[in-house]
Amino acid sequence: MREHFEQEIDNLKTNLIKMASLVDEQVERVITALEKGNIELCKGIKAKDLEIDAYDNLIQTQCENILALFQPVTVDLRFIISALMINNQLERCGDIAVNISQRVKKTAEFFSLISEAQIIEMGKHAREMLKNAIDSFINNDSDLANKVIASDEIVDNLNKHTFKFLVSKMQTNPELIEPCAHLIVLTRHVERLADHATNIAEDLVFYVEARIITHKKKLEKLSDGN
Amino acid sequence: MEVKISVKNLEAYYGKNKVLKNVSLDIPKNKVLAVIGPSGCGKSTFLRCLNRMHEVVGGTITGSIMLDGEDLTKGDPVLLRKRLGMVFQKPNPFPTMSIFNNVAAGLKLNGVRSKKVLTPVVEKCLKQAALWDEVKDNLNDSGANISGGQQQRLCIARTLAVDPEVILMDEPASALDPISTTKIEDLIFELKKNYTIVIVTHNMQQAARVSDYTAFFYLGELIEFDTTTKIFTSPAKKQTEDYVRGRFG
Repeated sequence: MREHFEQEIDNLKTNLIKMASLVDEQVERVITALEKGNIELCKGIKAKDLEIDAYDNLIQTQCENILALFQPVTVDLRFIISALMINNQLERCGDIAVNISQRVKKTAEFFSLISEAQIIEMGKHAREMLKNAIDSFINNDSDLANKVIASDEIVDNLNKHTFKFLVSKMQTNPELIEPCAHLIVLTRHVERLADHATNIAEDLVFYVEARIITHKKKLEKLSDGN
Repeated sequence: MEVKISVKNLEAYYGKNKVLKNVSLDIPKNKVLAVIGPSGCGKSTFLRCLNRMHEVVGGTITGSIMLDGEDLTKGDPVLLRKRLGMVFQKPNPFPTMSIFNNVAAGLKLNGVRSKKVLTPVVEKCLKQAALWDEVKDNLNDSGANISGGQQQRLCIARTLAVDPEVILMDEPASALDPISTTKIEDLIFELKKNYTIVIVTHNMQQAARVSDYTAFFYLGELIEFDTTTKIFTSPAKKQTEDYVRGRFG
């Protein structure tokens, strides 16, 4: 029975890794498209996202079956819970890659604006965070996961800077309102990408260390305030 | 946490063979303690030590077992067993007695004969054991003529009739179908409001469902004792984790 269970867990992990690889490729393509202003790279992103969606359903079904048939406990239960959560985060990252590709198509001709607004730097950071979050999951590496969590602040700060920069551009150059509006939405997607990478890292820490660290900072601030 | 039973340095023997090794734990009042572990780990022996059934089968013990501060290892074992009722794996109603007399048996043994006294007690205990609605019209039928699940609840009603403080259960649902098992588990949940319950079970999910605390025994040693939530989510000891995950045993 244990062997059967281990096999099911292995299958689940394999599918999660396959899904993560697909998401990683999609994100790499759209961030490269953003960096190079190459809209050709955005082709096929939407179609490929359907594969990610199919994995989402498959993994959810696998988790449901394992819970129903094996009633796992301790580290096994945490693995299934984190698999469900990571699956959800990966699916959202896939959608975000589609959203970014759409905005890249609309803004590629404003490459210098993108560069000045530090959106490329922000994109690189978010992409690196996602890659590391996926690696931390593949290798059960909570140290790497903690590094991902720590770097979310860099992306948040870049996002604030970018927002201010784009708003000031809109104020001084009304003809740039439309591209700037698209870029604000784009940076919002990039920032969410980093958030999902952070969530994946937090889910990995939950699995490996049996600690819930999600919302920790916010809750600490709240209790300090009280 | 109010302690009902305090076990200190308990060692149990069959002849020279030590089957429990230096076990110490506090059993909280009005809670359910599940005792788990692989076959031969000493969990049933531990249960039998609590009501001195261990000595009935020729065993001996050292160490102390205190019930509300009173030493259980001394005094009259028969009186003690009124305070710690026991329910066994296989339902064992008295086959020649009616349902009514099965429940009343303990009181009758203690000299209570009046039907006026016995009737309300039998009704109360059958209700507590969630059996009343199913047998109220057949109280004079034989206790052996009802289903296995009903027989087990009848045995629980019989245990309750002598007004114990602690109920010891040795795999009480292992011979029952899932519906009867659910009834017993629901009953345990209800009974802990008034009684302290210690249950030995091989069924991990059952231990997780019904108990507040879990003690894991292995090779006669208490490996880990903690809240059931802790034991089934992140136990401190690797042996415990391996066992509840089904990696051995």
